[in-house]
Amino acid sequence: MLSVLQKTTRSVQAVRGVHQSASQVLKHRPQEETVTASFGRFINEVKPQHLSPVVLQRSKRMVLDSIGVGLIGSTTDVFELALQHCQHMYAADYISSVYGRSGVRLSPTLAAFVNGVATHSMDFDDTWHPATHPSGAVLPAVLALSDMMPASRKPSGLDFLLAFNVGIEIQGRLMRFSNEACNIPKRFHPPTVVGPMGSAAACARLLSLDPSQCSHALAIAASLAGAPMANAATQSKPLHIGNASRLGLEAALLASRGLEASPLVLDAVAGVAGFNAFYEDYVPQSLDTPNDGHAFLLEEQDMGFKRFPAHLGMHWVADAAASVHKLLVGVGPGKFWSDQVQDILLRVPRSKYINRPFPESEHEARHSFQFNACSALLDGEVTVQSFTPWAMSRPELHALLDRVRLEHPHDNPANFNQMYGEVQVTLVGGDILKGRCDTFYGHWRNPLTSESLRKKFRSNAELVLPSEKIERLIEVVEKLEKFEDCNDLLSQLH
Amino acid sequence: MISENGEPDSPQPDAARSVSASAMFCAPLCAAAGGSVEVPLTGSLLMKPGLTMCVCARPYRASGLSWGITESFGAGIHALRSSQLTDVVINRSKRMMLDTLGVGLLGTRTDVFQKALRYSQLFTSEYRSSIWGRSEITLPPYYAAFVNGIAVHSMDFDDTWHPATHPSGAVLPALLALAETLPSRPSGLDLLLAFNVGIEVQGRLMRFSKEAYNIPERFHPPSVVGVMGSAAASAKLLGLSPSQCSHALAIAASSAGAPLANAATQTKPLHIGNAARRGLEAAQLAAMGLEGNQAILDMNRGLGVYYNDYSPSAMPDCATNAFKWILEDQDVAFKRIPAHLAMHWLVDAALSARAKLQETIFDLSQIQRVTLRVPPSKYINCPLPTTEHQARHSFQFNACSALMDNRVTVASFDQDQINRPALKELLSKVEIETPADNQPSFDNMYCEVQIETAQGESCTARCNTFYGHWRKPLSQEDLVEKFSLNASSVLSAEGVEGVIDVVGNIEKVSECSVLGSYLRMNSNAHQQVYGMRTI
Repeated sequence: MLSVLQKTTRSVQAVRGVHQSASQVLKHRPQEETVTASFGRFINEVKPQHLSPVVLQRSKRMVLDSIGVGLIGSTTDVFELALQHCQHMYAADYISSVYGRSGVRLSPTLAAFVNGVATHSMDFDDTWHPATHPSGAVLPAVLALSDMMPASRKPSGLDFLLAFNVGIEIQGRLMRFSNEACNIPKRFHPPTVVGPMGSAAACARLLSLDPSQCSHALAIAASLAGAPMANAATQSKPLHIGNASRLGLEAALLASRGLEASPLVLDAVAGVAGFNAFYEDYVPQSLDTPNDGHAFLLEEQDMGFKRFPAHLGMHWVADAAASVHKLLVGVGPGKFWSDQVQDILLRVPRSKYINRPFPESEHEARHSFQFNACSALLDGEVTVQSFTPWAMSRPELHALLDRVRLEHPHDNPANFNQMYGEVQVTLVGGDILKGRCDTFYGHWRNPLTSESLRKKFRSNAELVLPSEKIERLIEVVEKLEKFEDCNDLLSQLH
Repeated sequence: MISENGEPDSPQPDAARSVSASAMFCAPLCAAAGGSVEVPLTGSLLMKPGLTMCVCARPYRASGLSWGITESFGAGIHALRSSQLTDVVINRSKRMMLDTLGVGLLGTRTDVFQKALRYSQLFTSEYRSSIWGRSEITLPPYYAAFVNGIAVHSMDFDDTWHPATHPSGAVLPALLALAETLPSRPSGLDLLLAFNVGIEVQGRLMRFSKEAYNIPERFHPPSVVGVMGSAAASAKLLGLSPSQCSHALAIAASSAGAPLANAATQTKPLHIGNAARRGLEAAQLAAMGLEGNQAILDMNRGLGVYYNDYSPSAMPDCATNAFKWILEDQDVAFKRIPAHLAMHWLVDAALSARAKLQETIFDLSQIQRVTLRVPPSKYINCPLPTTEHQARHSFQFNACSALMDNRVTVASFDQDQINRPALKELLSKVEIETPADNQPSFDNMYCEVQIETAQGESCTARCNTFYGHWRKPLSQEDLVEKFSLNASSVLSAEGVEGVIDVVGNIEKVSECSVLGSYLRMNSNAHQQVYGMRTI
C-alpha cells in the first residue's frame, strides 16, 4: 500500500510539472467522442493511483463528517418516517445496514435511501462549490452496495475511497457545465440534479461496469434527477438526498443488467434536452482520461463543513452575530440587553428561500437568516439545540426577530465563494454595534482542523453509538486506504 | 402568503406575525410519524390525539380570503365523488383502462420489461401486488406499479392526450397495485373514481403552460404530470385528507421530471413506470405524515421549474355539481400502431399515397424520392434507426415501412424487419420538410407524403386526422379488437374475456381486485399471430 501511495505522489507531481500538450491528450481520447462517452470511460478507467494524498485526505474528512451527520440524523422525525415507510412496505431483507440501528438491515437501495435522508435531515452535511451537498448522495449508496457484495469480494478501503471520489468528481464536473450553478440555486435543488449522477457513477465504479454501461448508468440516472427548490425547508428536502443516493444506485444496477439510455444525455443537443434540461446556460465538456493526469477537482476545491445544522449561508450571519454578542454581553445579562435592542440589520445576499422572518418549523428555521442571526445574538453561538422547540419558542428570541431588517448590498452576491454576512445592531440609546464575517470557520478557505472535525464527529455520533465504536470509526476512516476490505468500516455504523 | 405572484416565501404580512409563535411548534409535532389522525376543521385547524389543538395552517387560510392553488387541488382530490362521474367520462375512462391493460399485457413480452422485472424481484414485501400476465410473480406494490407501468409504455402503444402526455400508464398500474393491498377492498367504482382523479389532475396541470400544448422539447411530460396524477389517484384511493392530498402532490413534485433525451431508448418506458411508482410512494409518505411545500403548484420554483411559461390556476370547486371533467371535453387518442403518436398521421398518409400510386403500377424500386412534410420535432426525426425504440420515434422508418409492407403493425418493429436492406435502401431516399403551417401540436399537425418515381410520376397524400385521434375515435369494436389482439399474446381466452367484461362493467363491480385475477390468467402457448394484424 505504501508503494501505491508513493507512486501516486510521483505521478501527480509529474503531471503538475509538465504541461500536457493537446496532441498528447488527443492520443488517449478517441476523436469525436461524445461528452457522455468520455464520462463513461473516465468512470471505467480511473484507478486508485489517480488519487493524490490531498484528495485522499480531503475525501476521508468528508466520509467521517458524513457518517457523523448521518448518525445524529438517525434521531430525527423525518428519518423515522422514511425508515418506517421502508420497513412497512417491504419485507425484511437483511443486507445493508442503517445508521445507528443495530437490529435493522434493508435492501441496498432502501438502505441508501434512509441513510441519505439521515445525512440531510438536519442540513448538517457538507457543501461544495459550486453549491451542492456532495457526500450524502454518494456515501450511503457506496456503503449499501459494499454491504451487498459477498464477503469474499468486499471492496478494499482504497476501492471504496476511489468509488466515493468518482461520485464526488462527477458531481463537480457536472456543476461546472453551468455558470448559473455557481450561485445559490433558484429552480432545481442541486443535490437532486447532480446527486443521482454522482451516486450512479460511484456505484458503476464499484461494480466495475464497462465504459458503455457506465454512461448508460448516468443516462438512466438523468431520468431520475431534478426536484424543485420549493421543497427546501420542508421534510421533503432530506428526501432529495435519500432519493439521489437510492436512485443513482438503482440506475447503476439497471445498467449492469443491460438497460440502455441516451448515449448523448450529457451532450447539448438542440431540440431534445438531455441533462441540459436542468440548466439555462449549459456548456458540457469532455472528461480527459485519467491517464492524462486527471487531477480531481477536490484537489483544487476543498469542502465546506458545517459547525451547526443549518443551510451554509447561515454560518456567515451566525459568526457575524456571535461577534456582536460578545460586545453585547458587556452591556448586561441576556434578558437585560435584548430589551435594549432597537433594530437589527442583516446585510446578506438575496436568496428567497433562506429569507424567512418567522420560521414555523425546524426545517424553516434551518433556512432563515433571521432566526440564525437572532439565535447567535442571544446565545453567542448556534448549535444543534438551537433548533429544538424549546429554543425556538423563547419570547426573548421572538422579541429580537421582531426587530430584524434585511438588506441585500450589490457587492454581496448569492454565491458561497463570494458572499459575506454583516450584522448591525442599534441599541435603544443609539449605540451601533457591528459584526462582519467574510469567511466562517469551516468554509473551504478556513477549513476545520482535524481536531474540530473529530470533535464534531464525536458529538454527533455519541447520541447513537458507544464511545468504543466512535473511536474505532475515527481510526478506521483515517486509515481507510490501508484496509484490505471495508468490513471494519461497515461493521461500526450501528 | 401566496398572495404575491404565488411566491409564499416573501416576507409575511403583519397578520402572519401574530400567530407565528404559537405556530412554531406545530410542524414538528404534526410531522410525528404513524398513528396520528388529521381532523381538518374548517380547513384551517389540525387536531391530533394527545396534543393540544394548534394553529398549523397558514394564517391566510383561516381568514378565508385567499385560496391557494395547491390547496384547491388537495381539496378537489379529496372532495370529488363518484356521483360526479358522467356517462361520457365513465365510458371514455373505461376505454382508457381497457386499452392500457391490453397494451401493458403485450408489453410484458418486451426486453425492457424483463430487465426491470428482474431488478424488481430483488425486493419482497408482505404486501403483494400482481404483475400483469404473470400468475407466478408478485412484487411489493411500489415495484408492481413500476414494472406494469414500464409494460404499458414499453412499445409506446399507450394512449395520448391533448395537451400531449400519456395519461393512463402513470395511474392505472399504481392504482391496481395499491388496491390489492388495501384492507378496505375498493370497489370498481372506487377504482374508476380514483383513476379519473389521476387523469383530471394531469389534464389540469398540462394547462398551466402554453408550451405544453406542443410536442415537448425539454422534459418528457409523463415524467412531470404523470407522477402528480399517480400521487393524486393514489391519495384518492387511500382516502387521504385534503391537506395530505396537497402534501402528496408536493412530495411527488420532487420525483418529477426526466429529460427528453431518453426518448427512443429503453429508458423512456421507465419514465411511466417511475411516474406510477413514485406517485404511489408520495401518497404513502403523505399518509404517514410526511410534509412538503403546501404551495408547490403555486410557485415558479415549485412545479413551475419544469416549464418556461408556468401560469397555474386553482381547481374549481369540486364539491358542487357544476364541476366538469376535462375528459368530458377532451377525449384521448388511442394508437393503432406501437409508435409515437405523430407516426399515425404519417403512416395513414403513406398508405394513401401508396394506394394512389398503385392505381398505376407500384414498384418500390422505381421510387426516386419520398418527401415527408411533418411538424418540426427533433426527437422523432430519426433518418436511420437501429433499435426498435428509435424506430418507434422515426418519421422516416414508419413512412418506409408503410410503403414497403402496405401496413405498419407490432411486428414491423422487430429487429429483423428494421434490418432489412430494402428498407434501408428506401430510407436513403427520404427527405423531410417542415412547412411553416405544420405546428408541432397533436391538435393541429398534419402529415403529407409525396412519392416521386424515376419516370417522373408524382403523387401526394395527406392525413389531417388519423383514425384513433380524438377527433376520429376508434369504434368500440376496434378498441376491443385491439385489446383482444394485445391481451391474447399473454392471457388465456378466459382471461381476455374476463378483463373485457370486468372493465366494461367496472362501475358495478363490488371488488376491483377481481380484475387482478383475470390479469393473471396466462395462456400456455403464446400465440404469434397478433403481430401481423392491423386494426
